[in-house]
Amino acid sequence: MENILAPAETRPAAPRLPAGPPVLQLRNIEKVYQTKTIETVALHQVNLTIGKGEFVSIMGPSGCGKSTLLSIMGLLDEPTSGEIELDGRPVQSYSDRELAALRNQKIGFVFQSYHLINDLSVLDNVELPLLYRPGVGGKERRERAYAALDKVGLSPRTSHFPGQLSGGQRQRVAIARALAGRPEIILADEPTGNLDSVMGEEILDLLLHLNREGTTIVMVTHDEQQALKTQRLIRFFDGSQVS
Amino acid sequence: MLRHLFKLIWNRKRNNLLLVSEIFFSFVVLFAVGTMLITFGTNFLAPHGFDYQQVWRLEIRAGQNETMPRTELDEVLRQVQALPGVRQVALASDNMPFIFRTNTSAFSYQGRKSEQSNIYDTDDHYAQVMGLQLREGRWFAKADDGSHHRPVVISQDLRQTLFGNEPALGKIFSWAEPGPDIKPEDQFQVTGVVDNVRMENDFGPAVPSMWIRLLPFDSTRWETANVVVRVAPGSGGELQEKIARTVAGVTRQWTTMVRVVDEDRLHKRRYTIVPVAGLALVSLFLIVNVALGLFGVLWYNISQRRAEIGLRRAMGATGSAISRQFLGEMLVVSTLGVVLGCLLAVQFPLLGVFDLPPKFYLAGIAVAGVAVYLITALCAFYPSRLAAGIHPAVALREE
Ligand SMILES: Nc1ncnc2c1ncn2[C@@H]1O[C@H](COP(=O)(O)OP(=O)(O)OP(=O)(O)O)[C@@H](O)[C@H]1O
Ligand SMILES: [Mg+2]
Repeated sequence: MENILAPAETRPAAPRLPAGPPVLQLRNIEKVYQTKTIETVALHQVNLTIGKGEFVSIMGPSGCGKSTLLSIMGLLDEPTSGEIELDGRPVQSYSDRELAALRNQKIGFVFQSYHLINDLSVLDNVELPLLYRPGVGGKERRERAYAALDKVGLSPRTSHFPGQLSGGQRQRVAIARALAGRPEIILADEPTGNLDSVMGEEILDLLLHLNREGTTIVMVTHDEQQALKTQRLIRFFDGSQVS
Repeated sequence: MLRHLFKLIWNRKRNNLLLVSEIFFSFVVLFAVGTMLITFGTNFLAPHGFDYQQVWRLEIRAGQNETMPRTELDEVLRQVQALPGVRQVALASDNMPFIFRTNTSAFSYQGRKSEQSNIYDTDDHYAQVMGLQLREGRWFAKADDGSHHRPVVISQDLRQTLFGNEPALGKIFSWAEPGPDIKPEDQFQVTGVVDNVRMENDFGPAVPSMWIRLLPFDSTRWETANVVVRVAPGSGGELQEKIARTVAGVTRQWTTMVRVVDEDRLHKRRYTIVPVAGLALVSLFLIVNVALGLFGVLWYNISQRRAEIGLRRAMGATGSAISRQFLGEMLVVSTLGVVLGCLLAVQFPLLGVFDLPPKFYLAGIAVAGVAVYLITALCAFYPSRLAAGIHPAVALREE
């Protein structure tokens, strides 16, 4: 891979190529959270198409529904109403087992709050998606996890436990875990939110590189500079797309 | 996957240690309760070794300052025997089945010592009245009149402790602590062996027993003669009255009391059932308590891990993969607890703590093991199934 430590100016932004066929298509998505006292409309009338090979960033104020949108795109949650299609097929038509396989092989998810298993070492955490993939042996699993950890600069920390890491390090473990599965789609919820600007840049370059190799990426970010380097920027406000 | 499982168990060793100890204690309680209930249950279902139906017992009293000459007693027995509906009459000692009177001692044969055994003094017709089941030899009889030793019949369990697999018939044995110069007529010669008997109560085990032949005796100084009578099926109060009248007809001073042995049995059962039922009730509470406790601990343990379940689902685990993982973890943890429990439990038969046959302890171990595995499997399966059924995003939020 390219040298991700090269000076920022020389690094190209994602090329604005025409988007490929749609991988993810959201139509009239509504998400309402109902609690005893209050009803929160987290998403309202969201229509969105993500093309194959695209790098889309999503921006918006806190609480506007970005994470909610990403969970729905990642098949982790269901919309209250509306339709999502993955590879042209409605998600509702997939069986539970097929959904599990899709989450495992097609999608890599970087959670805003990392979600590492505290009882597993860094290496074991990163191996996790491969654990549920048929046909991947223990040796290959370990090699791919090491490689992913190497990419995020955490090789010296493989045998640590999440509790022994800094916030930024945990975030990088979460990123490595999404990379280890070599998914076609990466959904990253503020993947650089806890990183210093240099490390943040490196992670973005890593994502840009993966995107150039064909990975479709949707990234939530609060960093305008980062967002401008992606092909498309979607702005959200109060559960709706504003641009 | 297996490596992953063991890693996870090892990394969670502090939590799991707690689980293992909870399972260990549950196992021990279930083992104790199980062994006890199985013992009572098995005893209850075991044969009594004799036929207590249609057997009556008579207590014939001479009355104050009265004597009981042998001739008159024999006449009473003869006349009762002659009554229609009476099948067989026999003389016995006062430690009748199912009543609160016992006469016990220990015996020895060539260094082999028996446990405390019941001793009954009876005549030649006793076996026939009580329906004892002969296994070897014969009941003592007239032919033994010339014997130098006391003819006795022993139960199978007593035979086993004294003689093992050697032949028993004709063997001569004595009290466990005979005096310095014991006379031949104070030693016992085996004429027969009968099935084990449970004459104490319905929940009691078989007790080794010996029946000694009443010597040609003089009954003049007896206060009471104990007689057992086998009657025809369906005999009732009419025959009882007839018997009482018959005894009174021979000698006006004597009195008779007729009791039904089966009623003695039920009466005794009412006494013994109180502690047994009490123990069973306490056991039931213990079992429910242990089950709920185990349930709670395991349930809590797994519900603590909903976020982990959500994450694994998000990473592509199927619901059944999650259930398998938790079942596997619980299986390993329970096995550790059960193995520790077994190590403790086998000490009971090994050290012979409570004088119970080892099979009861083994059954207790089996019951406790099955119960523990069932509860843990249920506790692992059900909550993980529930958690795996909800959407990953929902489960993940619960951290
Ligand atoms: N489980 C829930 N129950 C009730 N309300 C919820 C739930 N999850 C999210 N919400 C609400 O939905 C709205 C959108 O939440 P979401 O997490 O998507 O925001 P966000 O855009 O990701 O914010 P941030 O930038 O702070 O991460 C918020 O108002 C939030 O309070
Ligand atoms: Mg968010």
